[in-house]
Amino acid sequence: MRNFYIKRMWHVVAGCVLGATLWVGVWETSGQPVAPVNGPKHVDPGYHALVGGRVVIEAGVELDRATVVVRGGVIESVIEDGEPPAGARVWECDGLTIYPGLIEAYAPIELPEADGDAPGRHWNKSVTGERGALDGGGLGADGRKKLRKLGFAVAHAVPGKGVFRGRSAVVSLGEDNVPGRVEATVIKRDVFDAVSLETGAWNSGQYPSSKMGAIALIRQTLADARWYGTAVSAHEGAPSRHARPEPADTLVALGKNGTLLFDTANELDVLRVAKIANEFGRRFAVVGSGTEFRRIDAIADVDAAMVVPVTMIPPPRIGTRGERDVVSLRRMLEWEQSPTNLRRLEEAGLDISLTSAKLRDKGDDKESFYKNIRRAIKAGLDEDAALAMLTKRPARLLGVEERMGRVAQGMSANLVVVDGGLFDEERTIRDVWIDGRRYEIERAKEDAHVGEWSVASEAGDPIGTLTIEEKAVAFVYAQDEGAVEDPEEVEGQDIRIDPPNIDWVFDTADLIGEGDDGVMLFSARVSGDEMRIITEHPDGTVARYVAERGLDIGDDDAGSEEDEVAEETPELAELTYPLGAYGLSGQPSQRDVLVRGATVWTSGERGIIENGAVLFQDGKVAGVFDADELASLEMDLAGIDVIDATGKHVTPGLIDCHSHTGISGGVNEGTQAVTAEVRIFDVINPDSVNWYRELAGGLTTVNQLHGSANPIGGQNSIVKLRWGARHPDEMRFDGAPGGIKFALGENVKQSNWGEKHTTRYPQTRMGVETIIRDRFTAAREYARAGVIAERDKQPFRRDMELEALAEIIEGRRLVHCHSYRQDEILMLCRVAGEFGFTIGTFQHVLEGYKVAEAIREHARGGSSFSDWWAYKFEVFDANPENGAIMHEVGVVVSFNSDSDELARRMNVEAAKAVKYGGVERSEALKFVTLNPAIQLGIEGRVGSLEAGKDADFVIWSGDPLSSMSRCEQTWIDGRRYFSLEEDVAHREKIGIERRRLIQSLLAQDKDDKDSDSADGDESKQEMVDSPPPDPSVELLEMRYDYLITNGLDPYDARCGDCGCGIHSVFRRSN
Amino acid sequence: MRMTLNILMLFFVAAPALAQDLTVKAPAQDKPLTIIGGTVHTVSGGTIEDGTVVVADGIILFVGETDAARDFVKSMEGVDEWTVVDAAGRHVYPGLIGANTVMGLIEIGAVRATRDYAEVGSITPEVRAAVSVNPDSTVIPVTRLNGVLTCGVFPAGGSIPGRAGVIRMDGWTWEDLSIDGAAGLIVNWPNMRVSGRWWSTKSFDEQRKEIEKNIRAIDEAFDLAGAYLDAKGADDSLPVDLRWEAMRDALRDGGRVFVRAQELDQIEAVIAWGMKRELDIVIVGGRDAPLAATLLAQHGVGVIYTGTHRMPKRRDSDYDVIYSGPAALEAAGVSWCLATTGGSFQTPHERNLPYHAASAVRHGLAHDAAVRAITLGAAEMLGVDDRLGSIEAGKSATLIVTDGSPLEVTTTVELALIDGRVIDLSSKQTVLAEKYREKYRQLGLIED
Repeated sequence: MRNFYIKRMWHVVAGCVLGATLWVGVWETSGQPVAPVNGPKHVDPGYHALVGGRVVIEAGVELDRATVVVRGGVIESVIEDGEPPAGARVWECDGLTIYPGLIEAYAPIELPEADGDAPGRHWNKSVTGERGALDGGGLGADGRKKLRKLGFAVAHAVPGKGVFRGRSAVVSLGEDNVPGRVEATVIKRDVFDAVSLETGAWNSGQYPSSKMGAIALIRQTLADARWYGTAVSAHEGAPSRHARPEPADTLVALGKNGTLLFDTANELDVLRVAKIANEFGRRFAVVGSGTEFRRIDAIADVDAAMVVPVTMIPPPRIGTRGERDVVSLRRMLEWEQSPTNLRRLEEAGLDISLTSAKLRDKGDDKESFYKNIRRAIKAGLDEDAALAMLTKRPARLLGVEERMGRVAQGMSANLVVVDGGLFDEERTIRDVWIDGRRYEIERAKEDAHVGEWSVASEAGDPIGTLTIEEKAVAFVYAQDEGAVEDPEEVEGQDIRIDPPNIDWVFDTADLIGEGDDGVMLFSARVSGDEMRIITEHPDGTVARYVAERGLDIGDDDAGSEEDEVAEETPELAELTYPLGAYGLSGQPSQRDVLVRGATVWTSGERGIIENGAVLFQDGKVAGVFDADELASLEMDLAGIDVIDATGKHVTPGLIDCHSHTGISGGVNEGTQAVTAEVRIFDVINPDSVNWYRELAGGLTTVNQLHGSANPIGGQNSIVKLRWGARHPDEMRFDGAPGGIKFALGENVKQSNWGEKHTTRYPQTRMGVETIIRDRFTAAREYARAGVIAERDKQPFRRDMELEALAEIIEGRRLVHCHSYRQDEILMLCRVAGEFGFTIGTFQHVLEGYKVAEAIREHARGGSSFSDWWAYKFEVFDANPENGAIMHEVGVVVSFNSDSDELARRMNVEAAKAVKYGGVERSEALKFVTLNPAIQLGIEGRVGSLEAGKDADFVIWSGDPLSSMSRCEQTWIDGRRYFSLEEDVAHREKIGIERRRLIQSLLAQDKDDKDSDSADGDESKQEMVDSPPPDPSVELLEMRYDYLITNGLDPYDARCGDCGCGIHSVFRRSN
Repeated sequence: MRMTLNILMLFFVAAPALAQDLTVKAPAQDKPLTIIGGTVHTVSGGTIEDGTVVVADGIILFVGETDAARDFVKSMEGVDEWTVVDAAGRHVYPGLIGANTVMGLIEIGAVRATRDYAEVGSITPEVRAAVSVNPDSTVIPVTRLNGVLTCGVFPAGGSIPGRAGVIRMDGWTWEDLSIDGAAGLIVNWPNMRVSGRWWSTKSFDEQRKEIEKNIRAIDEAFDLAGAYLDAKGADDSLPVDLRWEAMRDALRDGGRVFVRAQELDQIEAVIAWGMKRELDIVIVGGRDAPLAATLLAQHGVGVIYTGTHRMPKRRDSDYDVIYSGPAALEAAGVSWCLATTGGSFQTPHERNLPYHAASAVRHGLAHDAAVRAITLGAAEMLGVDDRLGSIEAGKSATLIVTDGSPLEVTTTVELALIDGRVIDLSSKQTVLAEKYREKYRQLGLIED
C-alpha cells in the first residue's frame, strides 16, 4: 500500500525546485571549449541522492528500498536502505520506483537533402552512406522532449531516408546549455551504417523503383565498398600503374566494415536483408516492422539483433455487411495476433530491443507506445523481458552497455522515476534523469487539498469539519456536546481549485442561518498538513481560520492493479504459412504413392498409357507402367499409398514459362534501359494466395520473370509452388540454370506509356538493337578485363550488371526475351549468333511463325500465348496457329500464361494447339509440361513422368485437354499440395475462423471503443504493409476509376503482356 | 418436282485469296438449305439425335427428326434447287451470342485512333453503338471461327455511356449488321464501397460523398429525362433534347436498362432502384450475383454474368467461386446468361466465349444449361430471343455445325449460317497461317 503522506512529502520537496534557478551549469566533464556565459557563472554541484525508492537495477533485479547517489553525471553508489551522503541534495523517493533510463533503440531522423553534385557523392541520390545522423538538426529539442516523456534517456539516432542512409549515433536526450547545438551530448558516433529497401515511385524514373532494384543497389554498393579500399591502396602503392579511383565518400564509409542496420517494412524483408548481409559477410542488425509473427520460424533463424516497433495492426472495419464481406481472414488474424509478436520473437530466442518508432498514432505523441506494450504483456510477453528490451539489450546492441542500461555504480546517471510500475496502466512517469540532470515529466498529482480538515479559529477553537474531495467541498459544524440532532452538511459551490489555492462559496443562509442573504466567500491555501482559510461575509467582514488535516482518505486506486490475480499466460495459437486462408502449418509430408488405373500422359517417350500406373517414391518417379507391367511386378506395397485413379487422367505437373505471381515490390525495375543486376529471386513472395489457386489448376513450376519495361531486365526465378513454405527460398527450384528477361518492341520503346515518355533511349527498334549490342560488347570487355586482373592479381571492380551479361555470353545464363515482331526476333538471333550464345526462349513471340527457322537455330524454344492478339499494334499479326507452325518447323514450343488468372487453366491452353493447327494431342500437352522444362533447362528434373524425375503430377477428372476436366489433386516432390477433399476442409476452417474473429472483433469493439482512435486515420487502417508514398497514385486512380466505371475490376484487367501495365500496377505487394 | 442438290463440303478450308477484312460478305440465301442427319441441339426443345433443319429465306422452316423432315420437304412447293448439308456425325447448335462486347468499336486496344467505345462526358445516353460498328473489323471473322455469330455491343465510360446494339457478325454496312440498334440503355452503377487500398488517396468520408454524388448524378439524369418527356408530351413545341429522347424507350416504353454492377452492394442497390423507377433491369457484370441470387430470382432481374475467367475478388474466396457462379445462378432460378468480361482487351478474344461456359460446366453447371447461357439465355438478356438463340421454326437461321460440343476447345466449327447465309470461316489469321506455311514449304522445312 503506497502512502499518500509520503507522496505528498515528495511533492513538497519537488516544489522547491520549481522556485530554483534554471539548470544552467557547465559540465566539468565537457571537452568542448566553454561558451561565454552571459552574466556571472552558475555553479551546479551535480550531487544528488534519490532516497527511499524501489530500485530496479536491471530487469529482474530489484532493491526494495535504496538510495541512489549521483555525482557529476554518474551513479556514485546504490545502497540498500542507505543514508544520503552529506552535501548531496536529497530527493525523497518513498513509494516510487527508479528504473534505468530507457534507451530508444531506433529514432529515425530525416536529413536535409544532400547536395547531389558535391564531389565524392554517389551517382544515386539514395546512396548517402557517408552522412551522419547529426548532419542536420539532430532530434531537436521537441524530439528529445517527446522521447523523454516516454522515459527515454538516450536515443539511437538513425538517418531515415534513402537506401544507404548514413551512419547512426547514440545521443543523450538531455538539453544543452548552448542554444542551437544539435545534440547536447553525443555518446557514440558511427554506430551503424543504416540501410533500407526504400524505393521511389514506380514511374518516378528514379532507380530503384522496385524492391529487387533496391536489393541490387545494396549488393553492388557493398561490392564496390569492398573493392574501393583495395583500389585506393593499389593506387597509393603504384600511382603510375593504377589510376586513383574517383572520390567516393559512401564507399569509404562502408569500407570500414561497420555493422549494417537494415530498416525493414515487413517480415519477408527481414529474410531478404539477412541474405544480402550474409552474402557479403557483414555483421548486421535489423529494424523490424511488427509483422514478424507472420513468419516467426524463418525469422528465428536470422542471426541478428532486432529492434522491433510495438506497432499493433489495428482492427479491420467490420461494422457493415460490406466491410465484413471484404475483410480477409488474414487481416483479422493480423489484428488478433499482432500483440503476440514480441512474445513470439522472445520465445524464438531473438535478441530484441524495442522502439517507439513506426507507431500508427496521429501526430507524434506516441500515445500507443505503453498501451501496446501492455497488450504485448497481456498476450504473454514477460514483463522483465520487456524492460530488458528497453534498457540492457539496446545498450548492448549500441555498444554502450558499460555505461548505461542498468542502475549501478559507475554507470551514467540515467534514471526513470515512476510512481507505479513502468508498464502499469495507472502510473506516472515523474522524472527522467539524464547524465545526472533531472527532467521533470509529470509532477505529483496536485491533490493535497483532498481530505478532511478540522477547522479552528486562529485562537484554536474548533469550529467544524471541512471535507474536500476532488471537486466538492462540504462543511459540518462541530457537534456541540449534548446536541440532539446531527448538524446538517453544507455544500460548497463555485469551487475553483488551483493548487495550492482553493476557493469556493457557501450560501450564507445555509451556513449561518436565516436572515443572512448572499454567499460567503472562502479562500484557502494548503501547505502540507495545514490549511489557512480566509472568509468574507456579504457585509464585508473578513475572518481567518486554520485547518489541520484529519483523516487520510488516501488514494483509493493505488495498488489495485497489483492486487489483481496474475492472469495465466494465454495459449499461443499456431499460425499457418502463409497466415490466413488456405495456409498450412508447414509443407505437406512426402509420401510414397502408387497411382493406378489412370490414363497416364507421360509427356515422355512412352506417350499416353491407357490403364497405366505411376509409382512415386522419395519424391521421385520410381516407375511408369502399363497394366501388364504392373501385374507382373512383384511389388511390396507396404508404406505405399495406393490411389485408384480408374477413369481419371494423370499428367506431369504443369509448368508456366512466364509468370509474375508472387513477386514483392514491383515486377519491373524499369527506371533504366538495362537492369541485368536485379534478381526476381530476391523478392519471392510466398504469401500470394494465387499460388494456391494455381495449384488448384495443376500448376507446379513457374518461371517468375521480370517485366518488359526495359530492353535488358532482371534475372528470373524458377520456383515450385511449394505452398506452405516457411522461407521463400524453400520455393526455389534448386539447380535450375539462371535466366534473365530481355524485351523488345513497343514496351521498351515506351510506345504506349503516354506522351511524357519520349526521352529514354531507346525509342526505336533500331535503338533497342544498339543498346543490346552495346551491353554485350561491354560485357565481353568486362569479362576480359576480369581475367587480366585476376592474372595480375589487381583490384577489379565487380559490376553486377555486366557480370550477368557476361554469363549469357559464356552460356551460363538463359535469355528469355519478350518479343513480338519478326524483325526484332531475327535481330536478337543475329546478335546472339555474333556473341556466340544460344537464347533461352523468345517469350510471347507472336510472329515467331514468320521466322521459325531462325528461332529453331538460335533458341531453346519459343514460349507463346495460345491466342492473344490485337491489344496493341505489334500484336496485330499474331496468330493462334503460331505455336503449331513453330512446332511443325521444329521449334520447341510452350504456351505460357503471363497472368495469374490464366495460369489456373494451362491445360486448356495446351488444347488450343490441337484446335489451331492440329498439333497431335500428347505433343500439345507437352506445350505446358516437357517443353517449358526444356526451355528452362530443367527437363532433367521435371516435365515428364519418367523414372528418376521429380514426383510432380496432377490427377484430372478426365482428359486434360478437355476444358471441362477438373484438376483433382496436385503433387510436388511427392507431397500433395492440393486436393478437392483438402480444399473442402480449408473452406470449413476458413468459415469457422472468420466467424470466431468477427465475434471477437465485435466484442472488443464494445469494450475498447477508443482503441482504434489512437491508430490513426481510419481510411489508412487497411494499409498493413504501407508502401512508400507514391506520386503516381493519381494516375492509378484515374485508371482505376476508368475501369470501375467501365464495369471492369482492376484486378481482372490487364494490358496483355508481361505485367507491365495495369495488372502489375494493381498488384498489391509487400 | 425437279431438285438440284448442291452438297456443301464440311471440311474447313482457308480461302487463300481472302485476307482479313477483305473477306467477302455472304450473299443472301437464294435457295433453301437442309442440314440432314446431325444431332440437333435446339436449346429450346431438347436434342434431336438424327435431326434435320430446313432453312429458307434466312428463316428456319422446320426442325425435327430426319424422317419427319422428308415429309416436310416434300410438302414444299415450287422449290427447284436445294443446298444439302450432310451432317451425319455432326452437331447443330444455334449460333453463339457474345452478350457483352465492344465488337466493331475497337480494333487495336493500345491505338487510340481505333477506339470508338467511349464518348466524352459522363451522361451520354444519346450515343448508340450500332452506328459506329466497323463491318470490316478484322476481329469479326476471327470471332466467327468459333461460332460466335451475334454480339451485344456496349458503349463504355461514364455513368450513362449510351445505348447498346445487337449485331450479326456479317454484312456490308453497319445497317446490314444491325439486328437491334437500340437494345437498351446502359448505366454504369458507381462503385459503392469505400476503399482503404493503397492507391486510394481519398479518405473514407470523401469516398462516401463521392459515391453519393455519383448515384445522385444518375438519379438526376433519370429525373430530368422524365420531366422533359412530361413537358414534351404536354407541349410538342418544346425543343428536342437528344439526351432525354434517347431515354424515352427506357422510361416510357418499358425498354431495357442494362446496369453494370459487380459487387453485392451494387446489385442490391440496383434492384431496389429499378423497382422504384419501374425499369426493366438487366444486371451486367454480376460477379457477386450468386450472393444475391434469391433477390434476383424473386424480382425477375436478369443477369449477364461477365465471364468465368476472372480472379476471385477476396483472398478467402473458394478458388472456384467465379467458375461456380453460373451453377449457383442456375440453381437459384435466376434468369441469366454468360458473357465474357468485355472491354477492349477482351473483345478480340470473344472467340473464347464458349470456354467461359466450359469452365462453368467444370464447376457444376449442366452442359446444356451452359450452352443455353451463351445462346438462348444471351438472346433473352439482349431482348432478341424472338429471333435468335435457339433452333426453332420461325427463328433466324443463325446456327453452326460442329464436330463436337462447342464448349470443348478441340471442337471445330465446320459451317456457320447467319440468316441462312453461309459464312466464310477464313480470317486474317487463317490466311496468315497459310501464307507462312507456304514459306516453310518453300524452304523445305515442312511437308505439303
